[in-house]
Amino acid sequence: MVFHERAFIYVFFVVVYLGYLLLKRHNGLTLVWLCAASYFFYGYWNWYYLILIAATTTLDWFIGLHVGTSPRKKLWLILSLVSNLGLLAFFKYAEFVTENLNAAVAGVGLGWAAVNPAKAAMEALGMKYLLPVGISFFTFQSLSYTIDVYRGNLKVERNLLRFATFVSLFPQLVAGPIERASNLLPQLYGTRTITLRDFTEGVSHFLVGFFKKVALADYLALYVDKVYNAPGEHEAPALLLATFAFAWQIYFDFSGYTDMARGVAQMMGFRLMLNFNNPYVATGLGDFWNRWHISLSTWFKDYVYFPLGGNRGTAFATYRNMVATMLISGFWHGAAWGFIIWGALHAVGRVVTRQLEGSSFYTNRVPTFAKQLGVFVFVCFTWIFFRGKTWETSWIVLRRIFSTGWGDPRFPLVLLVLVLAVWAYQFLYAGGAAAKRLVELPPVRLALAAAMLVWLAVIAQAGSQPFIYFDF
Amino acid sequence: MTDIDTVTTSNGMQLSGRPCLGLLIFTAAFCLILPALWPSVERLETGPDYRIPYAVGNDYWLYDRWAREASRTCDTLLVGDSVVWGHFVAREQTLSHHMNAVEGSARFANLGVDGSHPAALAGLIEFHGKSFGDRKIVLLCNPTWMASTDQDLRNPDLRRDQVFPYNHAPLIPQFRPAVPCYRETFSGRIGHVLDRNLPFNAWTRHLQVAYYENKSIPAWTLDHPYENPLKPMTLRLGPADDRLEESISWTERGIRKQDTPWVDLESSLQWGEFRRTVRLLRSRGNPLLVVVGPYNEHLLTEPSLKRYLALKKGVEAWLASEKVPHLLPPPLPSGTYADASHPLDAGYALMARQVLAHEFFKR
Repeated sequence: MVFHERAFIYVFFVVVYLGYLLLKRHNGLTLVWLCAASYFFYGYWNWYYLILIAATTTLDWFIGLHVGTSPRKKLWLILSLVSNLGLLAFFKYAEFVTENLNAAVAGVGLGWAAVNPAKAAMEALGMKYLLPVGISFFTFQSLSYTIDVYRGNLKVERNLLRFATFVSLFPQLVAGPIERASNLLPQLYGTRTITLRDFTEGVSHFLVGFFKKVALADYLALYVDKVYNAPGEHEAPALLLATFAFAWQIYFDFSGYTDMARGVAQMMGFRLMLNFNNPYVATGLGDFWNRWHISLSTWFKDYVYFPLGGNRGTAFATYRNMVATMLISGFWHGAAWGFIIWGALHAVGRVVTRQLEGSSFYTNRVPTFAKQLGVFVFVCFTWIFFRGKTWETSWIVLRRIFSTGWGDPRFPLVLLVLVLAVWAYQFLYAGGAAAKRLVELPPVRLALAAAMLVWLAVIAQAGSQPFIYFDF
Repeated sequence: MTDIDTVTTSNGMQLSGRPCLGLLIFTAAFCLILPALWPSVERLETGPDYRIPYAVGNDYWLYDRWAREASRTCDTLLVGDSVVWGHFVAREQTLSHHMNAVEGSARFANLGVDGSHPAALAGLIEFHGKSFGDRKIVLLCNPTWMASTDQDLRNPDLRRDQVFPYNHAPLIPQFRPAVPCYRETFSGRIGHVLDRNLPFNAWTRHLQVAYYENKSIPAWTLDHPYENPLKPMTLRLGPADDRLEESISWTERGIRKQDTPWVDLESSLQWGEFRRTVRLLRSRGNPLLVVVGPYNEHLLTEPSLKRYLALKKGVEAWLASEKVPHLLPPPLPSGTYADASHPLDAGYALMARQVLAHEFFKR
C-alpha cells in the first residue's frame, strides 16, 4: 500500500486513525493497534514480507536484551550485524553477486554457473522471488537500535510489542525516514496528545508530499521514462533535459514520500525526523548530503564514518573514510554497478568540494549562485548512473549527450514552468529572512495550497505510480 | 551522535486551523460548483439523431448531460448497448431514427452506449442515468452477452494481460457480485466507486475524454509539448463520428454459422445484472418496455439454436412473471444483420415498426 493510493487514503488511514483516536489513552492497546495496522500495511504488498520483518524484529529485540549487559556484548553485536546485513545480502545483493560471478567465470571459459540462492530458496518454497519492499530501511533502523544499546547510548527496550511497533510503524516503514530508536521509541511510551495544530500541520505536510509525488514526480516520470527507456533514439537536448528532469523526479518522489510520512505521523502525534531540506540549493557536496536523505546520511555518519575514524586523523584518513562511506552508501541504494559508480562519483565530489571550501577564493569570491549551480549540475551528472542503472545505458546517455545533434527535445513547456516555479519557491524559502517571510504570509500559503489542490483535482493524472525508493 | 531534527520543515506550507477550514470550504465549493456550472459554458450540439460519439463512449458525465437533455425534449429514451447505438450504421439509420421517422416527430432519443454489456449498463443507469425522470424507457436486452462464459464475464482466464477484457470497467460491480474475470486492485475499485458517485470526478474525466484525446493533461502535454493546454478546450461538443464499420451483411462479411454455447440463465452474471437494471428502472417509476434481441438466429447451428430458444424462453418467463411489458420480436431477415446481433439500416426499419406496434405505445 502506498500513501497516495485510494485504498490508503479512504480506507486504511480512516480506519486506523479512528481506531487510534479511540485507543490512544491506553498505551498497551495503542501499541497493539499500531503494530497490527503496520503489519497489515506491509503485508498488503506480500504476506511473506511479514516473516522477514517479524524475524528481524524479534532477533534484534532479543539481542538488545543482552548486548548492553552481557560480558560477551561484542558477540551479540556481531550477531545483530550478521543477521541484518546477511538478510540484506541474501535478498538484495545475491543476484548481483551471482551475475557478476557468472560473468567472470564465463570470461575465463569455465562451464559453471552459480544460482542466486535467494531466488532458489524462494522458488523451493513455492514463492516467486521478490525483493522485499523497504528491506534496507527497516534493517538499518533495527540495526541502529542494537548498536546504540551496545554503545550505551540507549536504554534497552524490554517490551517486544513496543520494539516491534518502533521497527514497523507504518508511516516510515518502507522508505524512511530511517528513524533512530532514541527519537521514536520514547514517543511510544505513555499517551499522546494530538493538538489541532498537529492535525492541520500533518494535513499540510501530507498535501505538499502528495503534490510533489502525484503532480510533479509522476509528471516528470513520463518524460524521463520515455527518454531513458530508449536513450539511443534521443539526441543531446532530450537526454540532458531528461537527466535534469530525473534529478527533480527523484527529489519530488522521495521527499514527497517523506512529507506524506511526516504528515501522517504528525496527525497521530508522532514527530519524525526531517529527511530533505531543499537539497538543490546546496552550495557544496557536503551541504548537499546534509540536505538530501538526511536520515541515511546521518546514519552512515554515525555508524560508518565515525567508527572508521571520521575526520579525527590525517587528511588522507579523512578522505579515505569519506570515500568508503560514500561507496557503501551507493551500494546501499541498489545492487548494480550504476549505484556504485554514483556513490564513487559523490565520494570524489565531496573530496573536491571539501578541498575547495578550504580556499578563501572559493569561499569568499565565488558567488553563492555559481556554487549552487555547480553542485546541481554535478549531482545531475551523477544521476545519469543512478537512473541508467547499468553501465551500458549510462554510457549511451553520456556518449550521445556529447556526440549527437541538437534535435527538438519536445520537453513539455507546462512541466518546465512547473518545475521552475517550485525551484524559485525553494530559492525564496531558503534564500533570506525577507523572502522566507514573503512565502510564509498566510494568504500566500493559502493560495498555494488552493492551487495545489486544484492542480491535483483537475490536472494531475490519476493512478498510483510506485515510489522510486521502494526498490531499495 | 547526530542531532535529530524533527521540528524544521523544508517549506512554509504549514496551515493552522482556520486556513485549513478555509481550504476545506474552498475545495468543497470548487468541486460542487464547477461541474454544475460547466454545462452553461460548454455547448452540446446534438442535432437530429444524436448519439454519444463512439470515441467518447466512456465519458459518463456527457452521458448524464445527454440523458438530462433528452429526457427534457423526448418522451421515450432508448437504452442499451451497441444495438441501440447502431454499431454498423450511420446516425440516421439507427433504431431511434426509424422510430422517429415512423412517428413523424423526434420523440425517441438514442441513449445507447457502444459496448455497454448488461453489467456496465446497470452501472450506467444506476449512477449516470438518474436524470431519466419519468420518461418511458425502451430497454434492449442483447442475448449476445450470454452467449458464452467469456461474454458472461465468468471466465477468470480471459485475457490475463488486461484488468478487464471488455469496455466500461468503471461501471461494473466493483465488489458485489464478484466478477470473476475482473482483476482490478482494491485501490482501483475504490477509485471507480468514488468516480461514479462524485460528479466532480466524472467531470474531470469528461475534460480528458472530450478535449485531451482520452489522456490526462500531463500525458497530453507530452505529445503536444509546445501547445497551450487550454487550446483544445473549445467548449463545443458535437456529433463527431458516423458509422464505425462497413454496413454489409454478416454473410458478405464472411461470418459462418456458429455453434454458440450459451450459458445457463440462472447462473448468468449478465442476466442477473440485466434483471437488476429492470428492477432499478421500475423502482424509479419509469414506464418500461424490454425488447429482447432480435438475435441473428440464422447464424446459429441447429443445436445452438435450440439452446438459444430455451434461453429466450427463460428470459420471457422471467419478464412475464415480473409483469414487465416486453417484446421478443421474431428474427429479422438474414440479409438485414451485420453480425450476430446488430441489424443494418433495413433491419432497424423493420424493428422500429415492430417495437412501435407494441401496446406499450398505444397506452
